[in-house]
Amino acid sequence: MKRLLAVSLFCILLALHLFTLGRAAHQRKTLPKNEDYGYVMPSPILKITALEFDGLASDFLFLQALVFEGSTFERKERPRVKEWEYRWMYNTLSASTDLDPYFFDPYYFGNANLTWEGNLIRETNTMLDKGSRFRDWDWMLLFYIGFNNFYFLQENDKASEYLMEASKRPNSPSLLPTLAARLAYKAKKTENAIIFLDEILKKTEDEAIKKAYEKRLNALKGILFLERATAAYQDRFKRPPEKIDVLIAKGVINEIPQDPYGGEFYIDKDGSIKTTSELR
Amino acid sequence: MIRIEGISKEFKEGIGSRKVKALEHLTLDIHKGEVFGFLGPNGAGKSTAIKILINLISPDTGHASIMGKDVLDKDTRRHVGYLPENPYFYDYLTAEELLWFGGKASGLSSNVIKEKTGELLNKVNLHSARKRQLRTYSKGMVQRAGLALALIHDPEVAILDEPMSGLDPIGRKMVGDIILELKSQGKTVFFSSHILTDIERFCDRVGIIVGGRLRLVDKLNNLLASGNTLEDVFLKEVEKAGGGIEI
Amino acid sequence: MTALWPIAVITFKEGIRNRAVYGISIFALLLLGANLLISGMIMQEVGKVAVDMALSTISFAGLLLVLFIGINLMAKDLDKKTIYMVLSRPISRFQYILGKFLGMTLLILVTLSVLSIFAGLSILMVKMSYPGYFPRFSWSMVALAISFTTLMLILLSALSFLFASFASTSFITLVLTIITYIIGQSISDVKALVEAPQIVGIQVSPLTVKVVQIAYYIFPNLSLFDIKTQAAHGLAVSPSYIFWVASYGFIYTCIAIILAAIIFRRREFP
Repeated sequence: MKRLLAVSLFCILLALHLFTLGRAAHQRKTLPKNEDYGYVMPSPILKITALEFDGLASDFLFLQALVFEGSTFERKERPRVKEWEYRWMYNTLSASTDLDPYFFDPYYFGNANLTWEGNLIRETNTMLDKGSRFRDWDWMLLFYIGFNNFYFLQENDKASEYLMEASKRPNSPSLLPTLAARLAYKAKKTENAIIFLDEILKKTEDEAIKKAYEKRLNALKGILFLERATAAYQDRFKRPPEKIDVLIAKGVINEIPQDPYGGEFYIDKDGSIKTTSELR
Repeated sequence: MIRIEGISKEFKEGIGSRKVKALEHLTLDIHKGEVFGFLGPNGAGKSTAIKILINLISPDTGHASIMGKDVLDKDTRRHVGYLPENPYFYDYLTAEELLWFGGKASGLSSNVIKEKTGELLNKVNLHSARKRQLRTYSKGMVQRAGLALALIHDPEVAILDEPMSGLDPIGRKMVGDIILELKSQGKTVFFSSHILTDIERFCDRVGIIVGGRLRLVDKLNNLLASGNTLEDVFLKEVEKAGGGIEI
Repeated sequence: MTALWPIAVITFKEGIRNRAVYGISIFALLLLGANLLISGMIMQEVGKVAVDMALSTISFAGLLLVLFIGINLMAKDLDKKTIYMVLSRPISRFQYILGKFLGMTLLILVTLSVLSIFAGLSILMVKMSYPGYFPRFSWSMVALAISFTTLMLILLSALSFLFASFASTSFITLVLTIITYIIGQSISDVKALVEAPQIVGIQVSPLTVKVVQIAYYIFPNLSLFDIKTQAAHGLAVSPSYIFWVASYGFIYTCIAIILAAIIFRRREFP
């Protein structure tokens, strides 16, 4: 009799355990949540708390940023990543590189993700600059800075400087000094950008990043195609075309290239080729 | 053989408030070849006096020597075997390794150690357990291992603090036999106990200590001469000291 | 000094047979196994992360060894009165301390050697899975980093002896050693912070700066022994660096042991 009592009591307790756990977990969800992606501790503090495990801490900070970025791919809303989230990613990657400034991945990943949509060009450049001082065997970080200066900031002189610096590093591609020279010319922006991107693409192995760059490259190729067509039209008819369709109508081109970002190419007031998607 | 002169020791109880006099002007001579029993109630100062002899504690005043060498000199212990009260040993060593350590630390060669280890372990009936780790031993086995450790280097003087503690009657006989054997070899044995029958069985002379002061030292035969039992003598000294059990 | 060897031997045996050694080893093996998983998440510098994981595991396991087994070896003698069996031999207090320290050092050397083999296997596993992603990898740098960690642990255990020589319980010794480890590893970074606090945007009083600077000279600068980053990136460490850091470690260890012996001479065991 006693044993039966004990066993049934125990079973009741087990059931209650599962029940109360479920209720408590449910209640937890209704608590105000703290911001997961708000704050990153300043690097000097991180260095102190990491004791002798700076390298490992750097790895985990990078992985944090990487995993976060991956988690945004399922989002439907646009923009996919919010402005403060980009800022958080930058702070995290910056902290990672403060803990280990030789670690290549945060620079690589940061440059691919923070510049195009994140619009944190100057910040990314600062981070890359720090990296280039430590990774003195590496030409790529300087190359990235050069590209950013050229493409986003329109500072061709700076871009040229950085490319020259990069060419001094071991195993740098031979086209660097030539490209540096080309940048002196403000014209041919799209062409230079394509050359730059081609070079970056050659060195990119990560599939996701590769696709992003390829998309960008195709868009630029489309723009270049239209730019050349516009120039040819100007040559032939002694005046710029009013609309893209005119190029087809007058037989300069057979078809309008597709914008991989889903927009439509048009000719802007100043005569340059733009697209409604703005390449995002 | 063992010379204790004017040893006093005070301990501070708690946070510097009370002072306890553990030993007061203890003066005692132990002769070569004798078995001396140090008798007293719990807390009388027996262990303190012994630990001073082994230089585990330093006296406030006075000095002591064994075989002419001051106890502060480490070489004194080359010829002294010590068995502490309730001995503790490293858990993960075996009895064999324990004796190896004792022998090597006392300067014996490996061969001698091997020989003596086998002999001693047989004597204390630990031969079958010699390769087991000490943490698996019963209290009695630990006590016997401690005795073996105290004797591995064939000391001239054996100082044993409550050597029968924790032993069953078989163990007690074993220890008693060893003490008598040591005596027959001309060794000096100084042991403390509060068990009267043990003192009666082995000792040539007895010293009774109560409350940190040596009350009485005499040959055992003299003490029992007038028909008193040792118990009578002992209790009388305790009463004279104030009947107190000041621990 | 022939008494040193038997003391060292029983100290070593007591340490290596402690059940906690198994626990620490299993923990380390798990982490080393996880190395493949973590490293696989990295895009480019897989080698750097593999080395980070392996070396950090060794450092941490070594730390656990010193804190929980090492301190036990010395402090247990004092707590549980096993010291009687040793001090009743014809040895001096100094020989006791030195002998125990040698045993402790032997324990650290043997345990870390075994762990190093597993760490090496762990790195090898990752290297074979991602062969092209190990830029600038150097086995000798990894070995050097492990050697430095070993030196640091030996120094830390010498300090634990110093604390055990006057602390009344093994718990106090443990706490003091942990505090010393934390301060030792961070003092360099803290000094950098208080000497240039504007980076973080805080203000530091001159008194604080002075205190930190003094602490820098008293506490052991353990971060000197941390060359994990250099090993991870195959960066060279100059022979003079190796020489000076090793000398610093050796001298500090000697000071700690000598102080421990001096304090220990006066200690009583009632």
